[in-house]
Amino acid sequence: MKKYSDLEYLKLSKWERFKYRFVSFFASIPVAIWHAILGIGGWFKKAGLAVANELKDIVQTFVNGDWKTKLSYLVMGFGSIARGQVLRGLLFLIFEVVFIGYMVLYGVYWMSMLPSLGLIGPHKEYHELLDTYVTVYGDNSFKILLYGVLTMFFIVAFIFTWRLNVKQNKISEEILRSGKKLKSGKDDLRSLVDDQFHKTLLALPLTGILIFTVMPLVFMILVAFTNYDGTHDGFSNNLFTWVGLENFNTMLHWSGGGSTNYAATFGEVLSWTLMWAFFATFTNYFLGMAVAMMINKKGIRLKKVWRTILVTTIAIPQFISLLYVSKMFAKNGIINGLLMDWGWITKALPFWEDPTWARITVIAINVWIGIPYLMLIATGILMNIPADLYESAKIDGASGWQQYSKITLPYMLFVTGPYLLTSFTGNINNFNVIFLLTGGAPTNINASGAAGSVGYTDLLITWLFKITTGAESKYYLASVIGILVFVIMAIFTLVVYGVLPSIKNEEDFQ
Amino acid sequence: METKSMKQHMGMRTANTISNTIIHVLLVIISVIWLIPFVCIVLQSLRVESTWQVGYILPKQWGLDNFRNLLNTNFPKWYLNTFIIAVVAAALQTVIVLCMSYTLSRFRFKLRKPLMKFMLILGLFPGMLTMIILYRVLKDLGLTQANAVPGLILVYIASSGMGYYVSKGFFDTIPKSLDEAARIDGATRAQVLWKIILPLAGSIVIYTLLTGFMAPWGDYVFASYISFGNSSGMNVAVGMYNWLTPDQINNNYTMFCAGGVVVAIPVVILFMCLQKYYVEGVTGGAVKG
Amino acid sequence: MVAGLEEISGGTVEIDGEVVNDLQPKDRNIAMVFQNYALYPHMSVYDNIAFSLRLQKMPEDVIYSKVTNAAEILGITDYLMRKPRALSGGQRQRVAIGRAMVRDSKVFLMDEPLSNLDAKLRNQMRAEIILLRQKLNTTFIYVTHDQTEAMTLGDRIVIMKDGYIQQVGTPAEVFEMPTNLFVAEFIGAPKMNIVKTDLVKEGNRYFVTPCGAKIEVAGEKGDLLNEKNVKSGSILLGVRPEHMKLTFEAGADTIPARLEVNEMMGSELHLHVFTADGTRWIVRVPTIDLTAQQRKSLTNGAQVYITFEGKVMHFFDPETEKNLIY
Repeated sequence: MKKYSDLEYLKLSKWERFKYRFVSFFASIPVAIWHAILGIGGWFKKAGLAVANELKDIVQTFVNGDWKTKLSYLVMGFGSIARGQVLRGLLFLIFEVVFIGYMVLYGVYWMSMLPSLGLIGPHKEYHELLDTYVTVYGDNSFKILLYGVLTMFFIVAFIFTWRLNVKQNKISEEILRSGKKLKSGKDDLRSLVDDQFHKTLLALPLTGILIFTVMPLVFMILVAFTNYDGTHDGFSNNLFTWVGLENFNTMLHWSGGGSTNYAATFGEVLSWTLMWAFFATFTNYFLGMAVAMMINKKGIRLKKVWRTILVTTIAIPQFISLLYVSKMFAKNGIINGLLMDWGWITKALPFWEDPTWARITVIAINVWIGIPYLMLIATGILMNIPADLYESAKIDGASGWQQYSKITLPYMLFVTGPYLLTSFTGNINNFNVIFLLTGGAPTNINASGAAGSVGYTDLLITWLFKITTGAESKYYLASVIGILVFVIMAIFTLVVYGVLPSIKNEEDFQ
Repeated sequence: METKSMKQHMGMRTANTISNTIIHVLLVIISVIWLIPFVCIVLQSLRVESTWQVGYILPKQWGLDNFRNLLNTNFPKWYLNTFIIAVVAAALQTVIVLCMSYTLSRFRFKLRKPLMKFMLILGLFPGMLTMIILYRVLKDLGLTQANAVPGLILVYIASSGMGYYVSKGFFDTIPKSLDEAARIDGATRAQVLWKIILPLAGSIVIYTLLTGFMAPWGDYVFASYISFGNSSGMNVAVGMYNWLTPDQINNNYTMFCAGGVVVAIPVVILFMCLQKYYVEGVTGGAVKG
Repeated sequence: MVAGLEEISGGTVEIDGEVVNDLQPKDRNIAMVFQNYALYPHMSVYDNIAFSLRLQKMPEDVIYSKVTNAAEILGITDYLMRKPRALSGGQRQRVAIGRAMVRDSKVFLMDEPLSNLDAKLRNQMRAEIILLRQKLNTTFIYVTHDQTEAMTLGDRIVIMKDGYIQQVGTPAEVFEMPTNLFVAEFIGAPKMNIVKTDLVKEGNRYFVTPCGAKIEVAGEKGDLLNEKNVKSGSILLGVRPEHMKLTFEAGADTIPARLEVNEMMGSELHLHVFTADGTRWIVRVPTIDLTAQQRKSLTNGAQVYITFEGKVMHFFDPETEKNLIY
């Protein structure tokens, strides 16, 4: 594609400009993806170099270090204690002792079992006292995987701490060599509320994230490569074990028709999920903006009342409003009842029974849920648009519509670009609205063979939920879906962030 | 000349009046649409002639039976559960979020950018995925089903550090020179946070408390996982959800409405009082992204 | 870096003979006034000034006497109970200074403290800062973009550009002998005239040849050129506007020029004139030196002649922009 210089671009007609921007937008997507890939490649290269540097530094520190430093390679914290930093040294030492103790007592076992995820499943054994066969439980795959992951985290933590210990020695030697004094334990403690205060502040939040998000995620990602499900719970029924990429094969391989065609179901749910996310995001966005503009228009009375009415609805818990509204639209609900009373219809409208009706109704009700938020956001931004922009536009002779399309809309889009992205990805994972309104209904008969009775309004996320709570509980499939959702979201985010800056430069309002 | 411009002027004015009238009408319609479901809930909760869904709005017989019936169910227990969870989770979550956002806004340490990127990536995984294992682990710890309340609190607050965006945006607007001035005046970084920043962060603290309270108050997914069908460990959302299953709805529909009213009232009142802070948080957060 | 808010990239910072590189800001005993004042919005003026003293756990009665004393010096006693929001810019400025004053610190940092004030208030505060400094008698480090502030307030001026020090010296030194073009143009208003011309050496005598004229370098400047043994060649010649002379008739060493802009400043005139080769010169003439008739004749397009003395010239290397005789 030909690239225009600024002056060439300005010479183009309106239509040509639009075409140029349209084409260059889509042309930039592969470039953005390519840059992302390059970025990841570059990241690996950088990481590799960093590791090499660390190794080099470790060796050099050993060669150049005194005997205290050298001994610290084996006994962590020795150098610190020998140089008078008892507190630091003790912490290092305690960590090492705990680590070695843990590894000897438990860690080695869990790590050794990790490749097999357990050898002996539950089985019957003859019991002499009772004179009968009783079930004896063997290994526990779940625990092996869980503690295996935990042990791996522990090992990584140990390597980092060991490295820190080495670096500590090097730094201490340098400080002593330059004739300065080392910090005492008291100084260390004091710095935790001062120059190292961020470590204190982050300790709790990051521990929470590590234990409750990172480790479970690593575990669940690993589950995608096992056959962990309701019948292979790893302990009381059967052990589960590694199956490689088989689950991805099941999910993505087109098995040619039939009701167990997961790929077909996945494709269907995915396309509806994207469709839903698109409509849910943009209907809310534009209608919310419209409502905000109506309320903020000059000459409208009772502005505060309208705003308060809408905002208050945010406060009502969604499970109440959504469940209630879902019942309002039911076959025997109020809406159908009233419409029939008034004689407008003779047969109940199939709001939740017909796939297309259900999808449209879901999107419509989502507008009802979402507009108050968007109204708030849009109001905030509209008020921030400098009034002189409109004044100068009016002097330049812009009509009301032109003011909207040339000032309001571009400004809004510019300011809310990142919000639109998060809103879109949020809608891909919008569990509440779908689950509470329809629960995925109406059921998709074509996909009945797939786990978790998939419906026409099911998103990937509600499907995932159903799979994990259903009778079969195919956790491995849920995990595969989760990973695929992540991949989709990641691609989306990368592309949008890759493309956004070009848009930003063009419409710079700041 | 003069008459023409007068006409134009008049034309503009009438056009404006017409469009304003249309907008007023539209706003009335919008308000009605937004309020009708809630009016219906209240009316249905007062209907005593039948317990199932009906096709009319105004009750034929009025009464408070549904509210009285609530007391004979596990509803008070659920309500208490929800209240405890929401209050404790909101408080702890606020502490965590403030720690996180203040640090990321004010400190420049080596791992700051990587940390933020890492959390962005983490956020792209569906959070529900982790529930499978968390449920198993909490179960082993005895924090599920009947004891779901502490388990749920743990789940709600554990990863709340990832939701730091809005309050970080707020802290970014407090001039950095205040911190610097205080540090030169002899304050440690902890004292800066405690004596200078926190007194100025009232609105964002209230916003975080409010959203931290509202989320568990209406949460269904995590609560249903952790309570796992055990009635005494449920929150209102999970408990009342079961009233509307096809085999229950005919007995409990009006009671659901009554429960809904009871659940909604405290949040709505709280929200009305603190609306200002909520609006500030939402608009600020969206603009920052 | 001095305050400890940013890390020191190299070298050492000493305050009163003590190396403070590794000290936290709070342990360095310095006071600072910020550009935007950085008053704590939720505290009253009194609490703002007392903040640092309270952190030192000083008894309340000592704090009281110190704060009221500072407030009296600064004339803000009436506002002690107000919040910063309710103060005007000048008052806020005083509170910020007061907050620094009560510290009894060894160093006083001021980061463009006057840049947010309007011109009149700025002049007034400038005078007050000079008074304050005489009273406190401690080291002030004063950051500014305004050369007037630098000249009037400073004992020693450090001129920096892009993070590098250009020159250190007393106001008189930097004015009379700027090390390079940047300093020369920065100090003095209106800024120095810079003309590309040739330096010609004839025996022991030096001449410059701007716009066809030939003016001899006189006084110690000439001696310095000799001393440094500067060769003939192309140079950048600098002459301050106040050193320019204006005549109405051609004479020896005069350059004919055409008047383009006449700025009447009251006590003096700033004349922008163009010589035949298109060079712009600014000439500063005291109004009192001109007769009414002459003033009247200075209209746009008027023909005038300019010249300057041999001892007021500055010479810069056209490539390195360094002063040739520094």
